[in-house]
Amino acid sequence: MIAELVLAMLFGLLLLGIHRKVIARIQRRPGPPVWQEILHAAKFSFKTTWVPATASGALFAGIVLVAVGIWTAAFFVMMTGGSLLIIFGIYMLHKIVEHAFGLSSGSPYGKFGGVRSVISAASEIPLFVSVAVIGLFTGSLELTEITAWEAVHGPLFFTAFPAVVAMYLVLLSKMPFGPFSIVESKELVSGYKTEHFGAWRAGLEVCNGLKTTVLLATFLLVFAGQLPVLWMVIGMILLTVSLSFACAVTPMLSPFDSVTIQSLVTALMLVYAGIVFTGVLP
Amino acid sequence: MGSLGGIPLYVLEFGDELVYFSPYTITLFLLALTFTLLAIVSRPERQVDVAFGGDAYTTKIISVDEMRFRRFMAIACGLASMGAMVTGDVFNFTLFTAMVGITNVGIVAAVKSPHVQDAAYQYGLVALSATVPLFGAAALYAAATGSLSMIELAKGTLPAVPLVAKALLVIGVVGEGMAPFYAAKAEMFRAPGAPYVIMCSLSSLLIFLRVAEVVMIG
Amino acid sequence: MTGRIKRVAGRLAACGIVACGAAAALYLYGMLPFWAYAAVTVLGFPAAVVALFLWWMADEGKEDIPFIGY
Repeated sequence: MIAELVLAMLFGLLLLGIHRKVIARIQRRPGPPVWQEILHAAKFSFKTTWVPATASGALFAGIVLVAVGIWTAAFFVMMTGGSLLIIFGIYMLHKIVEHAFGLSSGSPYGKFGGVRSVISAASEIPLFVSVAVIGLFTGSLELTEITAWEAVHGPLFFTAFPAVVAMYLVLLSKMPFGPFSIVESKELVSGYKTEHFGAWRAGLEVCNGLKTTVLLATFLLVFAGQLPVLWMVIGMILLTVSLSFACAVTPMLSPFDSVTIQSLVTALMLVYAGIVFTGVLP
Repeated sequence: MGSLGGIPLYVLEFGDELVYFSPYTITLFLLALTFTLLAIVSRPERQVDVAFGGDAYTTKIISVDEMRFRRFMAIACGLASMGAMVTGDVFNFTLFTAMVGITNVGIVAAVKSPHVQDAAYQYGLVALSATVPLFGAAALYAAATGSLSMIELAKGTLPAVPLVAKALLVIGVVGEGMAPFYAAKAEMFRAPGAPYVIMCSLSSLLIFLRVAEVVMIG
Repeated sequence: MTGRIKRVAGRLAACGIVACGAAAALYLYGMLPFWAYAAVTVLGFPAAVVALFLWWMADEGKEDIPFIGY
């Protein structure tokens, strides 16, 4: 499983590289090579590293370990077909990780990145109503049981399309350069990661790679069912390209607008969940 | 939908009160534990303020007294969150949630900034009023099903939990720290003292995660 | 200063890698339950990765204040 873990991390970074490349080509720039994010992680790992004088030392370093740790756990849960609730929980806790990254250094830029992260959590997290919808349809939140249900009844992609849209929005909120990436917008320098440089930043890149793989693979597992590995890889690349299109053609929203749009979608999802609740259950 | 967070690995019974560890609750418990340990061992950061229009900057220093009080509140908050994560009793869950609300106010109320104290006061009022639906929900659970044990509720042999009880439980948790009231909490988050401030947002997210499981059983 | 951090990071990285490797091997031969293997990896992998990065970093700098503007 450790080999898979490292491969998943590298593949996630490759997907982020493809993401950058596609955005660049849409915007008629040459763009970086697709393996740029892997080089990035390697480059940061060789940089001079220290803890800023004003930082809360243990939290500053410890949060990098927590960031990698929670996504390692999420990877295990996904690979063993565990509960979707745990993956959902880890996604939410990533918000706290961002918050801690931002606040621990004492930097004003990091601080605002962290605060934005928590504020956007308020609108992003209710999108997980779609998880409840999946539970209502399949009668379980275990990934193995969801895929087993899909093997009999067909992919949830067609059965619960509004849930697909909501989850897609969740993925979009986590992609860099997207309309909802207010936590790392350029007026905050690098947002919550401004002060995490060198080895700390390389650790964060490892976390980002794992996170991208886990989220995209979970999306495919839940909505398309268990696919052969090759199809899974192709599916993830296609999903990344579609996300890149969405990111390339939309400007970054202001924090207020970002939260408003996500809240509106959440309201629609609640209505949909209500309909499913009264329609599916006797 | 009996075992949403996975099959319980271990159940610890104290008569009616019980604590259980399923893969889901143990994950949340360990995260609460990790952040509580971080709050214990970390010293607060010194927040940097840039003087406008120049190269000068100032740093905010937290006094030792203030740090001690806030660290105590952060640890109390961590313990309350850990309790809320592993309890298998609906009433205990509401009790721990109410305690999370109180300690969240405590964590920031010691900061000597009028903005932060204003936000803490407003949040305190919301948290206070949210205890009514919260405990009301626990009462409805007991009245409608005759049991408060999540293990019993998950078996499906008891009468169904009325939707209004679940709705009140969610409203209570939302009031104790969740989504719509984050706008007031954002002021709180600006307060210096990262390891303690993070406990506010962490505990809120954790109880939200747990309530998602609680309302889906029974 | 430099030597100490490098030494501690090196030891931590070695411990993490050995722990992850041992857990994987023991699990493969059926001598370790899956949950224990997962727990060791979740704890060991981040420690190994970050400590490894800290160990092989080119140089260490002196701490300074956060970036406050261009």
